Amino acid sequence: MAPPDRDRRPILCGEVRTSVLRTSEALTARTAAQLLNLRPDEHVLLSERPNLRVASPQLLTGVDCRLPSLNGSRPRAVGTVAARAVLTEGRVLQASAFARLVPGGGDHRKPWGHYLLRPGVVEPLGRHQDGEFTEGFLAAAPLPGGVLNPGAVAERLLDEVLRHRLLDQRAPFKSGRTRLRWVALPAAGDGVTSIERFTVAADGLRTVALRVAPADPSAVAALCEDLALHDWLLTTLVALVERSRLGSGDREAVLTALRPVVDHLLHLWMPGARVPDVLSGVWETLERRPGFSRQWQALVQRIRDQVALQTVSLPRPVLADS
Amino acid sequence: MLVFAASDKGGTGRSVTSSNVAYRRALAGDDVCYLDFDFGSPTAAAVFDVPGASRGVASAGLHSHLQGRHTEPHRIDVWAESEHDELRYRPTGSGRLVLLPGDRDGGEFAIGKDTVRRCVNLFLQLESEFDVVVVDLSAGRSYAVDMVLEATAQPELQGVLSRWLVFHRWTHQHVIAAHGLVFGERGIVAGGVERGHDKGALRDSIRFVRAAVPDPESPLWSHVPLAQSEWMRKCDRDLTELAAELELGYARLLGKIPLEPVLQWREQLITDEDVLASKVAGMATRQALEELAAALVDDEAWERQ
Repeated sequence: MAPPDRDRRPILCGEVRTSVLRTSEALTARTAAQLLNLRPDEHVLLSERPNLRVASPQLLTGVDCRLPSLNGSRPRAVGTVAARAVLTEGRVLQASAFARLVPGGGDHRKPWGHYLLRPGVVEPLGRHQDGEFTEGFLAAAPLPGGVLNPGAVAERLLDEVLRHRLLDQRAPFKSGRTRLRWVALPAAGDGVTSIERFTVAADGLRTVALRVAPADPSAVAALCEDLALHDWLLTTLVALVERSRLGSGDREAVLTALRPVVDHLLHLWMPGARVPDVLSGVWETLERRPGFSRQWQALVQRIRDQVALQTVSLPRPVLADS
Repeated sequence: MLVFAASDKGGTGRSVTSSNVAYRRALAGDDVCYLDFDFGSPTAAAVFDVPGASRGVASAGLHSHLQGRHTEPHRIDVWAESEHDELRYRPTGSGRLVLLPGDRDGGEFAIGKDTVRRCVNLFLQLESEFDVVVVDLSAGRSYAVDMVLEATAQPELQGVLSRWLVFHRWTHQHVIAAHGLVFGERGIVAGGVERGHDKGALRDSIRFVRAAVPDPESPLWSHVPLAQSEWMRKCDRDLTELAAELELGYARLLGKIPLEPVLQWREQLITDEDVLASKVAGMATRQALEELAAALVDDEAWERQ
């Protein structure tokens, strides 16, 4: 029998959208802070170790919507979705939005003041099933209109930041956006954090289901931002290497095509750098299989080998001149 | 690069020619995206032979995206979803070919500030992902033309290269109409200037494409009586003169597509199979499309004044 609502631990759901920052040069810490200064009353978060990461203050969006499900029962839910923008090394921009589904919201909508006191909490009105929600939310198809959609909140935020006048709209290479939609269910008992699924669907959509030990919701969201960042890096590197026609085209053209990769991407790989210990099991699993870092390192090695071969085959006078 | 395909009237072969250009760019290795902004009759999917979307998609097409009803516009990977035998296998070395279809029950719509903002976001996002973004606009001075003029006048799009292709048939009426569409009182240039475009820069970003051009020297007409052949040559000369007077002359000409039954009747992509194996399409047409696709990204062709 399902436990009564008040004993259920809340589940978290969210979406991260990742894009290259459309600017010819990576932003410095100072300009990045200006870019992400989205609320006059709160400071941006800036961290320089082990790499530069700037995060905007949290923004809240009020929602009165239906919860997605596969069986068509769509209970109403009211509350706020929390969102923020994160910029890594002044080059990769992410917008991340999430909500905590807290049961026990009663049967009727309360005054907004009630919801504003609970930032990032969405309260279902009436009963809902966690399993139904998870399946409906993670279904690969785009979410229908009118249902809880943190992705739409993230998309708006991403577009807003990307139109900032600090940006010259000239990205150093072509790349797509990725969307990582995630759900975090409480781990059984005191359980440990683990990843239940990671799927790669068409159109840059990834879905992730986690079981998490008790942790701060924003730390879980940050873990998903980290997963999304590295998935985007890998996706983008694979696409750029493929486009460069490495191994088939003429070597000079290949190197010209790969140059932005060396300049802007290779130093960004640092999986799990800021993930707290209690959540680190997720990265350990992913590194074992499918082995994110393994694939990344293999690609990086191919690129370095090409650069080395090109240097070796340069005519002597060119080497002497430089 | 954003490429806007416009035409004075319907029936100029704008959609079918610009689709063919998109296809040729993808074959050349560019990542290409094709947007169906022909809101009145979204039929680009038919040209790419994508089943189930030939008259636009049921939901999440470009209309509903621009009107704010869907965050994600529907994307069709042409290499994966086309039913055309030659398109189903993506050739080695080719780039992506993605179609963003319109909505089946679309139609023109009024343009507000939010629509323009969504349009700017869409262009910026696609431009950062694709080498060439072809935007197929409804014929005439439509809402679609107004919207993209408004969008490209926004400061965010100033750093993005935009080029216009204006398609017209090679007839007296069509040459005059194409001149009106671009240089007329209510034309693209005047409309752009009204919205903050620089007049010279906008004019320089517009080139004409002559469609369905009969070639009097073609072997097709070699058996016609002398009088008729003389008459055809004279018409062609007169039209050339008229075009030059109306600023549609060689300096602003990007390509010439011959009269081609396959383009007229089948309205589909012309593949090498059509030209070399089944021989239903002419070599000259394939050549013209290839040249147009090359000229589109050739900066020299765009510097001629």
